[in-house]
Parts: sequence; structure tokens; C-alpha cells
Amino acid sequence: MNICLRPAWLRLASATLLALFAVIPAYANEKAEPDPAQSQYWGPIRQLMFADRVINPDARDVIRVYLNLRADDSSTVPVVVKAQIDQTEKEYIKSIYVIVERNPSPAAGVFHFTPESGRAQVETRLRFEDYSFVRAVAEMNDGRLYMSQRWVKAAGGCSAPNGKKLPESLLGKMKLRFDDDTITYHKPNLVQLMIRHPNESPFAANFVEGQVPQFVRSVKVTFDGKPVLDAEVDFSLSDNPNFRFFFTPEEKGELKIEVEDTHDRKFSHSIDISEGVPLPGG
Amino acid sequence: MASISSPIKILASPITIFAGLAIAFLSATTAKPAFAGEPPPLANFDVREIAPGNFVHYGTFDERSPDNLGDNANIGFIVGEKCVLAVDAGGSLPVGRALRQAIRRVTPLPVCHVVLTHVHPDHFFGAAAFLDDHPQFIAHENYPAQLAARSRSYLNSLQRDLGAAATGSEIVRPTLLVRQRVELDLGGRTVVVQAWPAAHTDNDLTVFDTSTRTLWLSDLLFVGHTPVIDGTITGFLAVMKDLRAIAADHFVPGHGRSDLPWPQPLEAQQRYFTVILNETRAAIRNRKTMQQATDEVGLSEAGHWAVFELFHRRNVTSAYAELEWE
Repeated sequence: MNICLRPAWLRLASATLLALFAVIPAYANEKAEPDPAQSQYWGPIRQLMFADRVINPDARDVIRVYLNLRADDSSTVPVVVKAQIDQTEKEYIKSIYVIVERNPSPAAGVFHFTPESGRAQVETRLRFEDYSFVRAVAEMNDGRLYMSQRWVKAAGGCSAPNGKKLPESLLGKMKLRFDDDTITYHKPNLVQLMIRHPNESPFAANFVEGQVPQFVRSVKVTFDGKPVLDAEVDFSLSDNPNFRFFFTPEEKGELKIEVEDTHDRKFSHSIDISEGVPLPGG
Repeated sequence: MASISSPIKILASPITIFAGLAIAFLSATTAKPAFAGEPPPLANFDVREIAPGNFVHYGTFDERSPDNLGDNANIGFIVGEKCVLAVDAGGSLPVGRALRQAIRRVTPLPVCHVVLTHVHPDHFFGAAAFLDDHPQFIAHENYPAQLAARSRSYLNSLQRDLGAAATGSEIVRPTLLVRQRVELDLGGRTVVVQAWPAAHTDNDLTVFDTSTRTLWLSDLLFVGHTPVIDGTITGFLAVMKDLRAIAADHFVPGHGRSDLPWPQPLEAQQRYFTVILNETRAAIRNRKTMQQATDEVGLSEAGHWAVFELFHRRNVTSAYAELEWE
């Protein structure tokens, strides 16, 4: 069962109830790192998302989460989730679930990959409502599940006020930044996608009750029609959602981004790229 | 927590699971233990009269702890012939009470105004100490929204850091909001409370005692303590330009001492922000990630500021998120 594939109202209901759950312990943000296997938060989340499927724990040889133990800003925490195995036709990571177990809506994002992704790796920026484990669960093409996690000290990120209202003309504007001056065929190229969007958290107090919060719910990246990155995401992502990922072009083509938010608005952006032609960078 | 985990294993559908959680939540709330008793008093609370009628208490640079009880920000008061205005109330009820007692040692006049200079817990959590005086609690027009958004996590982390000593430290809501400026008559002394565009936060106020030309800047000025950006770095630099133009004879920073002649203490802060601004822009241009930028930007400033390791990287994170869209 995938929490992110269910209707928005249900996701919100779940999110709200999980928020209630999240405040049960009086002093949730303990100073020392707790035992990840003993976490009282993880049980219900894993039950909801993965039911009774076996999850191989502490699978740091398959999937790893990289972030700083102490976050610099709880509403903008860069998190890298990185596969430790190659994507091959025979064996590859199909999806990576990123879960901030003490967030009001713990399923921050599900990222889908293909053998052509080159590397199953994504970097994004997350909000942390409380000191929490951030867990990455890798789902293999044959359905096996592997998990590892990191503990992070950061609090207040989801209830921090939503940013200034963006002018309508800026909403959904995108920017691509490439790591190299030009694209190289047949190898993974690193690209950063920036999306102008408030990515409202319904737990921020300046959020108007009864409204459907506006946040980006899906991001599809294709190169000449072939999937590069397919993500279902949530308001655990910081405002102006930001992703860094790899794609492996075999020849020139069109890199296209399609974004959809919870108000059913669709935004798209594309650029033609070919080897030797300068790319937009810094 | 056995009462929570047991129903989950039995119930199958997500909705019933959540129903179970909600019930567990309700029972947990009613069962939540409340702290009893009074928080401990704060020892060694001194105030200094830096200009006639302007009394400052300098907070420590340490992290909040049960030892310092959240006495980590500069707070103080201005005494008129009619009444007293408090500038902030400190980081916990014991600090607010200590400030109130310090006022009482100086004058029997009533406290008519408490200025909440911005929405940070090291400045406002002591405000409850003044509730019985029924003063006007004055804040920036953006303050209430920020307060509402942050109060839950601020209360939670106060309890984490102070434990039982957090008892009685409450969220106090402002009763007068400032959009631009207000003039307050304390009796023979006019005080101007001015609201600023987003800088340190989006709800910064300064207090200016016109009779002694004493400028209370709160966290629009850090002296020795690493400056903190919870608003915008470009906004902060813009506001500092205006602050510099104020003709003041005395000043009080939000953290650090009032020793240098005005506006000299602005220089170091200006240099710090300029270094961050330039180096973060360069990092973005050079395709460094946010994480790389926080590792590299502004390290030349490390030796110049206290508690650098607590705040500097967060400043770079904030600057990066702001500047990457330029």
C-alpha cells in the first residue's frame, strides 16, 4: 500500500491524524539518538506503507541517507539518498521512499527510477518538525525492500510559517542548473531542478483552515519522452522544491519537467540539450 | 507506549489504524503529566544604567540551559516620570520575574508597556512575569502570525532544554501592533517604537528613547555574538543602512555589549553579512550545493564571533536559499 497514491483527502486525513500521534510523547525531541529499531513512530508508518512485507534493516550496503546530524535550518535541510548498488536491467532499485518518521505527514517523497537512471540517487531539501529519523526504503525490481536511516536534530520545520505569497507570475517557474558546462553522452550527468512554489504546510499557522494546502505532489522528468525521475512528494519538502539527480543521455534531446500541485495546476519546463552546447549553470 | 502499539497490530485498514491512534492521542493528552510547583529564581541578575533612565541587563552567550534559565538575550527597561517600558522579557518566566524585580528596585512606577522586539524565544518567554501589571504588550504587525506558527515547537523545545524550570513560561499575545511607528509618552520622556521591513526576522522592532537618544536595537545588532538571519540577508543589509543614519548617543544590541561608540558596532556585522553574501553568491555561481556552501562560506569570520558553530551554517543555508533565485 502506498500512502502517496491514495486520494488527497485521505492523505490529508492521515497526515492530520499522524500529527496528533506525533505529539503523544511529551518530550519527543530527546537529546541522544534513540535506537531506530525501538522507535514507536516507525511501527504504524511501516504498517501503513508496507503492511507486513519484510524490510531488511540497516541495509547501508544498498541504500544510504546523508545529512548533517544537527540541521542548520529545520525548514531547509539538504538530504541526499544514495543507492550503493548499480542500476542494471536485471537488478535495480525501482523506488526509494523517503520517510521523516516524526513529521506530520511522514512520507516525504517516493522517487521512481529505471535501469536507465544511471544512479538511483536524489538530493532534496526537507522540513523537520521534530528530532527524527529520516528513513530511506529502497524497493528492488523484484519487490525486496531495504532500509537505512539517519538521525537528525532539527525541529519546527513543518510548523514554521509558510513563505511570503508568491506572485502568480512566479508560481511554478523552474530553473535547471547543470553541474558541468555541457552534457556528456553515455554517462550520468548531474542536474538540479528548482521549482518556485510555496509548498505550503497545512501545519503552519498562517495556513488558512479548510483550504487545500498548495504543495507540489508530483514531478516527472523525461528525456525525449523516456522517464528520468518520477517523484510523488509532499509538504515535508521545503518551499521552492529543489532536486538534484542524474540522467544519462545517449544523444541530443529534450529534457522536460512536468510538475503538478494539489490545486491541480500543471507547470512545465523544457530545454533542448546536446553535447558541446553550453548549459545553463550557476 | 504499549497502549498505542497494541491496537495497530490488530487493526487492518489504515483508517481504523488512525482512529486507534487518535484515541490513543486523546488518552495520552489527558494522562500527560503537568509540572507542579514554581520555577527556580534566577540568581545574579544585574542591570546597568547605560544612559539616564535606560537600564540594561546583558544576557549570556551560552546555549539555553537549566543553569542560565534562558537568560541569553539583552533585555531592559526605560523609566519615565509616569511609568516604565520594558524592552523584551528574557527567555523564561524566571528571567522575566528577575527583570520585574530589577524594575522594582529602581522605581515603584507601574510597567505600562512591554515591547516584544521580535518573535524569538530568548526574548519573549519571560513576558508572563508582567501579566499582572496589565501593560500594553507591543509587537510588530507580523508578530502574531509568526508567534502562532512557532509557539508549539518553541514551547516543546523550551521544555526539552529547561525541564521543570520551563514551568510558567507562556506565550503572551501582543495587545498593540505596530505597522510603522508609535510614540509612547512615559511621562517627561517620549519613546519611539519603530517597525522595520524583514531583516533579522520579518517582525523586528527598535525602541528609541528620544530624551537620551538611546537606541535599543534588539537583534538588529549583534556585538561579539554571531549575527543570526531568520529573515533575509539582503533585507538585513538594507535595514542596517537606515539604522546607521540614526543619530544615537547610546545603543543596546540584542546580544553583546554597548561599549563602542555608535555606529561603530555596525561595522563588524556589516562585514560578516557582506562576506556571506559575496561568498554564497560565488558558491552558487560555481555550482556548489547548499551543503558545500555551508561547509565553505564565511570561514574567515570564524575567529571573530562567539557561538559561531551554533549559528553560522544556518545563516549560510538561509542566504543560499534566498540568493539562488537571483
